[in-house]
Formats: sequence, structure tokens, C-alpha cells
Amino acid sequence: MVWKAWRIGDVIHYPGTQEVEKYVYTPGIHGLEFAKALKEGRILGMKCPGGIHVPPKTYCPDGSPGELVEVKGPWRIATFTIVYEDIYGNPLPEPQVLALIRPDDARRGGLIHIVKADPDTVYIGMEVKPRWKPPEQRTGHITDIEYFEPA
Amino acid sequence: MGATHPNIVVGTPITWVPLMRRVAIVGAGWAGFRPQVPELSFRELVFEAAQRAYEDAGVDPREDVDAFVSCQEDYWEGIAIADEFAPEPIGGALRPTYTVAGDGLQGLAQAYMMIKSGAFDIVAVESHAKPSDIVTLDGIYDLALDPHTIRPLRAANPLFTAGLDAVAYMSRTGASRVHLAMVAAANKRMGLHNPRASYAGRVTVDDILGAPYYIYPMTRYEVAPFADAAVVMVLASEEAARRLTDNPVWVEGVGWSTEVGTGAVEYHKWGHMPSLKAAGLMAYRAAGIDSPTGEVGFAEVEDRFSFMELLSLEELGLAGEGEAHKMLETGDFSPGGYLPVNQSGGSLSVGVPFEALGLWRALEAYLELREHADKYDVPRAIVASWRGPPTYTSAVAVLGAQ
Repeated sequence: MVWKAWRIGDVIHYPGTQEVEKYVYTPGIHGLEFAKALKEGRILGMKCPGGIHVPPKTYCPDGSPGELVEVKGPWRIATFTIVYEDIYGNPLPEPQVLALIRPDDARRGGLIHIVKADPDTVYIGMEVKPRWKPPEQRTGHITDIEYFEPA
Repeated sequence: MGATHPNIVVGTPITWVPLMRRVAIVGAGWAGFRPQVPELSFRELVFEAAQRAYEDAGVDPREDVDAFVSCQEDYWEGIAIADEFAPEPIGGALRPTYTVAGDGLQGLAQAYMMIKSGAFDIVAVESHAKPSDIVTLDGIYDLALDPHTIRPLRAANPLFTAGLDAVAYMSRTGASRVHLAMVAAANKRMGLHNPRASYAGRVTVDDILGAPYYIYPMTRYEVAPFADAAVVMVLASEEAARRLTDNPVWVEGVGWSTEVGTGAVEYHKWGHMPSLKAAGLMAYRAAGIDSPTGEVGFAEVEDRFSFMELLSLEELGLAGEGEAHKMLETGDFSPGGYLPVNQSGGSLSVGVPFEALGLWRALEAYLELREHADKYDVPRAIVASWRGPPTYTSAVAVLGAQ
């Protein structure tokens, strides 16, 4: 405590890596159905007492089993942001618009996704639609939707 | 169980047994609070803070401290099972020590309950962070996002959820970018009086409004940077506190709450902070406060993102819903005003030491109450902290000098 290396060049660091690159994440019961539906170009929600919840979480907020249903929209931006720089302050080649997008028929939740639109034109309530990858390129991931675009 | 969603349920009533003894903070120590502390390992940083805290409280950790609480997260440390590193630097080896994987203010709440229960007389709480050791911070943040529905999007900045909240909050309340800039300018300026505020400076509202966006609607002035730091606080029962110090600061109440959590960020109540509201109500209840209006001398609240300070004040009932930006305009939150807020400079000028953030806010309120309680009509502070994106966990403490 009373005697420390006081020149920056005297400090030695030990570079390391956290072994977290390889991991499998179980999607869960309804997560799996959600993933399968994405491959088919459909988005599922959970019909619960009181309304539809997106994305589906296997159990309704009241603990009841609920029912998987396809959510068709129309989809609207509930809130959004525009990222101009990464966490270290490096400017992005072009700003990235991210939004919480909620289908009109859902009571709660929505999807967080990228919106491909001129940042100056994005607003809360703006109608957008999913842009799907071609069927042969879909893998059951949220990225099967490439982005949302103005409807 | 009813059909309401967790988002709507706010403030599960918790009734504390009223006759249990009071709990006080009797000493504190800190180390670091710089963008980088290259000469010390995180363990040495913690040791320095601990040694100062025990000296301040006048206790020997091996004789007098009955139990220890450490708040930290494995991923931040880059060490698996990092809680095993906890006891040694705080004098807790071979003594009851446990780890809370959460904000330091949650650790303070644990210590409060341990003493309230009567099982422990003196408990030390520690929290620390060394973000400068993390080479790929964005990667760590990425790992905190839902692996199915959000992480694969590869958002360009993992702090983007704060932007979603800011836009929703401003749309709902009518708070403008000028109000957000006023918060940042005031906090950066007030930090100039604080030796822990590495990021303080004379910044004007115009400087901020003229700067490029970082995460819309905020510039880099409005997003707190990171800091290496350690904080240790010593808590004691009333009997022990009276023995140890002439100016104890009482922990009158604590509360904590998690909203949807990061496994269901889509379900967050955007532009609100229900977890902060619930944590505040829990803390007020424990402190016997029905309504905080007129019951508080000053507040140290969440300001990692400029809009958050205004939102926090509303969720804590210190300003009416949608009223905080109007009170800001009239100077209500300035030093000497109706309710001085973040006189320490807030995290916008001190930075973010991860899980030590909430304990640091408590440290600022503790030092102010210990040294300057007579400045306030009501010598009592609200301390409110949030764990930061992408979490929706908050903790609140009510501290008082009487």
C-alpha cells in the first residue's frame, strides 16, 4: 500500500481469454416453436388471459399454459434509438436504428430488431414490416428476419 | 395469482418487525475512482478501500467484524467463481463471508438485514470494479443479452437499450434534449468539488447540444464513462454504533427489485422504471415514510444516462410523473434548492464502477450526512441506483443523520 510501481512502463499485464466462445443455449419449449416458425417465415406469440404476448415464453404471466398463435401485425415502432458510435466511441460507418417493434394485436412485449430506414424519418408509431431472408438461408434464429423496414 | 403481468405489479408490501434494533453506517473507505488504476490488481484496490474503512470505523476486521458481504460478477472479473477471491482482501478469511451477484447497494441491504436480525453486530460490505482490465467490454455486455432474441442482432452498441428508454421517456413526459443536457452540464460541474469525480468539467448546455450523438437522443457527455474503484462500508447495530462513533448515519430503510430481467427485455415497461419504483416503496415502508415529499434533505440518484436522473426522481416519488424536467428548470434540484440532487456530480462525473456504483452513491450520501447534516432541514438522503443496461434491477436506501 505504501510502495507501488509509479511508472506506467513498470506495470506488467497478463493477457487472458475467457473460455465462453462455445456454449449451447437451450431455447426451451416455446422458444423451439418460435425458432421453427421463424424458418417458415412466421412470428409466434402466446395467447394468454388478457391478450397476446410476444415473444412467447412458454408460461403466461398468471402461470397458465396459454396457446401459441401466429402474430401478423401490423407492426409498429413502440420506441427506438439510433446508435452512432460503438461503446469505445468509434463512429459507425452508418448509424444503426434499433427499435422495440410491437404488433397491433399484442398486449405486451414485441421484438427488438434493426430498422432499415433513414434515421431522420423514424418515429414512435411508425408502421414497419419484417424483411425475411430467403427460405433456404433461414436457420431458426431471430436474424431470419434481416431487419424491419417501413411498411 | 392474478392475471396481471409482472410489469404492472409494483411494490409488494413488506412489513418489517418494528421493534428490531436500528442499523448505522459507522465507517467507509474507498480507493481508485480513476479511469484506470494500472498499478493495482482489483484485490489490492479492495484491500486499500477495506483498510481505510476499518481505520475510519475503528474496528479490526479479524476481531470486531462479524460477517462480510461482497458484491461482484464473474464476467467483470474475468475469473470463474470469483466469489472465492472475496474474503481475503477484506479480512474475511475463515469468517462468515458471502457474495451478492448484484449491485453494492443490494449488499448494503443484506448487511442491514443481517444486523436487524440480531445475529450479527458489525458487518462489512464491499464492492469493486476494474473495467480498465476488460479488453473487450462490448463482448461482455453482449453476453448479458438474451442469446435467442437479442444477442444475434449484433447491436453496434450494447448500451442501446438506454436509448430506447430515453426516447420513450421523452415522448411520454415532454422532457426535451435541453433538459437532458441541463442534467449532464449540472452534474459535470458539481463533480468539480468531488475528489472521486474523474470526469467532471465545466461543460455547458450548448457544448452538449452541439456535440454529435452517441446513442440517440444522447451525446457522449450524457452517458457515464467507466471507472476503476472499490468501496467498503462498515455497518453496525445501534449499540455497537454508539460505542464506535459520535456521528453514525442510520440506514432507515432499504429496498430492491428486479423487473422483467434481461431474459425478457421486450417486456420491459419502456420509458419507465418499475423496479426503481418498487425498490423505493419498499425502502420508504421500512423507513416509515408514507410520502417522501418534505421528508428528504437531498438525493443521490441514478444518472448513468442523463434522462435517467429525471426518470429516477419521478419513480421515487420525489417529483410528480412528467414533472421532473419542469422542476429542473426552476432550480429545484440544484444545491440549496427544494431537493438537491447528485451534488456529488453523479455517475456522469464520477464514472461507473460496475457493481460498486450503488455503494458509491451510498458513500457520497454517507459522507455528506456525516459532515454536513446541519445544512439540511431534514438530514436524510435517498440513495437510488440501477444495475445498468441491459438489466432492470434497482436498489434504494434511505439514510439519515438523526
